[in-house]
Amino acid sequence: MADSLNVHYLSRKIHSLLGLVPVGFFLCFHLWENSMSRKGQAFFNEHVVEGIATTLNYKLAIELFLAAGILAHGIYGLVIWWQSKNNAVRYAYEANVRYLLQRITALITLAFIIWHVWHTRIAAGLDAGVEADLFGHLQQVYANPLNVVLYMIGITAATFHLADGLWLMGINWGITTHPRAQRISLAACGIVFVVLMFLGFHALWGFNGRFF
Amino acid sequence: MVGGGLGGLWAALRAAENGYPVKLFSLFPVKRSHSCCAQGGINAVFDVKGQRDSIQQHIVDTIKGGDYLADQPPIKSMCEEAPGLIRAFDRMGVTFSRTPEGTMDQRLFGGVKNRRTCFAGATTGQQLLYAVDEQVRRFEADGKITKYEDWEFLSIVRDGNGTCRGIVAMNLQTMKLEAFRADAVILATGGLGLIWGRSTMSTNSTGAAAARVYQQGARFANGEFVQFHPTAIPGHDKNRLMSEACRGEGGRIWVPRNAGDQRDPVDIPEAERFYFLEEWYPAYGNTVPRDIASRAIVRVVRHMGLGVGGKEIAYLDLSHRPRRFLEDRLGGILEMYQTFTGEDPYTGPMKIFPSMHYSMGGILVDYEKDGTAGGMKHSSPRNHATTIPGLYACGECDSGYHGANRLGANSLLSASFSGRVAGDAVSAYLKTLKSTAADVPADSFTKELARQQEINRTITSSSGPENPFALHHALGEIMQEHVFVERDNAGLDKAVAGIRDLKDRFRRITLDDSGGWTNQSLSWARQIYDMIVLAEVIAQGARLRDECRGSHFKPEFELKVPPGKFAGDPEYEAYKAKWKANNEKWLKATVATWTPDGPQFEFKPVDLSVMAPEQPRDYR
Amino acid sequence: MPKEIAFKIKRQADPQSPSYWEEFVMPYSPGHNVVSALMYLREHPVNRAGQRVNPVAWDCNCMEEVCGACSMIVNGVPRQSCAALIDELEQPIVLEPLSKFPVVRDLVVDRTRMFTALGQVQAWVPIEGSYDIHVQAPRISPKEQSVRYLFSRCMTCGCCMEACPQYHGGSKFIGPAPLGQVYLHNAHPTGEFFREDRLHAIMQDGGITDCGNAQNCVQVCPKDIPLTTAIGELGRQTTVQWLKDVFCK
Repeated sequence: MADSLNVHYLSRKIHSLLGLVPVGFFLCFHLWENSMSRKGQAFFNEHVVEGIATTLNYKLAIELFLAAGILAHGIYGLVIWWQSKNNAVRYAYEANVRYLLQRITALITLAFIIWHVWHTRIAAGLDAGVEADLFGHLQQVYANPLNVVLYMIGITAATFHLADGLWLMGINWGITTHPRAQRISLAACGIVFVVLMFLGFHALWGFNGRFF
Repeated sequence: MVGGGLGGLWAALRAAENGYPVKLFSLFPVKRSHSCCAQGGINAVFDVKGQRDSIQQHIVDTIKGGDYLADQPPIKSMCEEAPGLIRAFDRMGVTFSRTPEGTMDQRLFGGVKNRRTCFAGATTGQQLLYAVDEQVRRFEADGKITKYEDWEFLSIVRDGNGTCRGIVAMNLQTMKLEAFRADAVILATGGLGLIWGRSTMSTNSTGAAAARVYQQGARFANGEFVQFHPTAIPGHDKNRLMSEACRGEGGRIWVPRNAGDQRDPVDIPEAERFYFLEEWYPAYGNTVPRDIASRAIVRVVRHMGLGVGGKEIAYLDLSHRPRRFLEDRLGGILEMYQTFTGEDPYTGPMKIFPSMHYSMGGILVDYEKDGTAGGMKHSSPRNHATTIPGLYACGECDSGYHGANRLGANSLLSASFSGRVAGDAVSAYLKTLKSTAADVPADSFTKELARQQEINRTITSSSGPENPFALHHALGEIMQEHVFVERDNAGLDKAVAGIRDLKDRFRRITLDDSGGWTNQSLSWARQIYDMIVLAEVIAQGARLRDECRGSHFKPEFELKVPPGKFAGDPEYEAYKAKWKANNEKWLKATVATWTPDGPQFEFKPVDLSVMAPEQPRDYR
Repeated sequence: MPKEIAFKIKRQADPQSPSYWEEFVMPYSPGHNVVSALMYLREHPVNRAGQRVNPVAWDCNCMEEVCGACSMIVNGVPRQSCAALIDELEQPIVLEPLSKFPVVRDLVVDRTRMFTALGQVQAWVPIEGSYDIHVQAPRISPKEQSVRYLFSRCMTCGCCMEACPQYHGGSKFIGPAPLGQVYLHNAHPTGEFFREDRLHAIMQDGGITDCGNAQNCVQVCPKDIPLTTAIGELGRQTTVQWLKDVFCK
């Protein structure tokens, strides 16, 4: 059984899949949901934060599933990262630069997620005041321009990692096998990256009232 | 098994298939072997072009191509088994070029009128080599073949009865010598092009291994017969081959009609181009055999003074063919021309000159004739056996199949076929063995090992003004000047004297390399001595043979075909009578035996039982 | 026209010794390539400072870019040094041994691992025997042939391994070239009978999953072999194979 399952192959495939489900899907949803920040404090606290809290069934289970997915993808990703010897300086080809960026953004994203979850979800869990007015809490966080910059870096890294990860999935799962298919999927993933990044920035700026 | 080119791999494969464990020694990983340089193709009659091609015609072409000098039963067997051999390659997965309906395509090669050459793009040799390499790796994975790559063969070990019982080899990384026991040894060590300094051959094709067994008692036959390929790109390091397929696919050879014409070749109008092969040999045109094409080029360039820009260069022109067609059929080699010269062969002609390319001669090998079929007896232990019991030779290093001149695309065939035959022959020999190498007392091995260590010690401790690499240049110059396409006795005398002088100079060499690890200079120095030994055999053989036959051409002894006269004409018949009389005297193989004072020669009759020499070669 | 050819060569006396740089100059003449220049230097082994030194060791054989022996890093790029024309290179020409393989001496490296990998992935078409069985292989269309031909020209030179960020001494990755050979043999009508075995071989640790799609291999391959296409196709083949293994047993 172990043989036909091929544990090594299975774990690589699961790692790849986890990046998309649940992590990638959640990222899309999360950015879209938070982009509602532009509608203001009352709307956000009431419809977004409360809305999810009240309508989402098995919320804790879903959160644990998400956390496990992110951790598994992240930790196994580190193992994979450990096997690479980057050489993008010597071989500055486009795909090789992305190969390096995929690994750098992985580290940034992992660090960012830990920090981000710490001062949002965990802070809210520990402090009822934060939970009651998450919008206000985040406004405070973003009052510090350094945090805004860190968030922008985090969002860029996370969305790049997802978009490039999609491109890699296309190859690894054998969907885009030829150079032309890979060029087309690269363009498509590029659009995904730009859209998601913009969505993230939009959410971020919404808290400070700067939106359009 | 010594040597991992096409012949060596086939022999190893066959012996392993027959259930015998094989140790395979090679100077380098076997995939680097010179077989990968063969470009054009491999001959086998499939008659896929509706030309009524026949195996009989392949036999006739090969015998006549070799100017009757080759023993005919092995040729007969080779041509008969060629289609089956190609089928085996096909089953191994060789990417042969295909017809639109998915069968093997065939192209035209020199010296024949039918399209008989199977090919895989312009890298046929590479494809065939890799296919057999893969099969050998399959046996290696099962532990039935063990490879010793980066090992240099130094000598065979003979027991008290003179039977070959193993080898001494040098690890080219650690430079350690070791003796290996073996019940039989097959040599498939390839060509000897480096004796000419620069040739179309790989930089390891020195002929040293053949020279080593020659000095241990194996006979060397027909050394003077060396093929000069008409179309090679002259270079500093080697002369790169432009395949005969260029001519087969419509390439035309020409020079400007006016000596010293300095115009760009594309600006020279048709009327001022001298397509000398087409004019002189209208029946075959540009696809005359290699020896004839080479001589014609040398004649036009050296004697008529028509070399391009006054240099030793002629044009090989494909630029009139459609680009798509060329890319498809010859892409690989045309790309190579572009890479190494920086010029575009699609829009203008290529610059070429003849170059040493292949040695028809080599270690003398035997065969057993099949009395009823007239070919070689299948699985006879005598096939490809050298004069030393237990020592076999196959591939270019042997002397079979090609006589005085080899037809294009017959070399991949003879390398593969002879390898397979040698593998079977050794298997048969092993069955008859009464005692094994394990029974041989150790002192045969320790003595030979000590002798080889002593040679290394002598070379490394020698000091004098001579540099082994410079000696090689000197040897190359002698051979290139006097033992080239055209030969004369005065020049050959100079060559022999020059070679003997080199032997002397060798005793005063200094190795520049003091390293104890991968000392390439030591290995080279040993090889250069062996090259000098073989050069002496070649030059003296050429000196002795006062006639023109195949690739060996002495204008002084040329029997000229009366121009414009054909069979039936009294002038032509008189020429034919003279030609037959000459055969009486010279249709014999030159066989050299090593002595401390230089080679001793004798002449051995040729087996002409398949096709008597009634028709002179005539490619007009 | 330059007067001389200058080299800076990374040298190492044997596998245990430390490496060092040494500079050489030689007189210019047109038409040289890196190997022909090294041949000159081995005959005149004098460094730039005028000291007599051991000649530089390197591997070469065919000199036509088909045997794969003379791979080295020329001015930062892994390639066949015989095809590296001096006139097209910036001087001093910097020569280094391939860095992903153990150095034997100077520019000579031990690439045994590449050949071992070809065995691991069973890169061959199993045949009953090398004798004639009086039938040919099944017909192959010119189109299929031309695709396979691209891969059958792989000379195991190691350039793709050298450029691959996933291939190095500390990784188990077999590298791009053997994957190309799996694709080649899976695409043969009878080689396909054993495609499961090859796919299982590359579905292990060190197989296709270790490819990070940096795609340097296809950039540096001296034969322009579409290695990344093979990797993509094998991604598909292994995915399907895995599903079969799990659900169709």
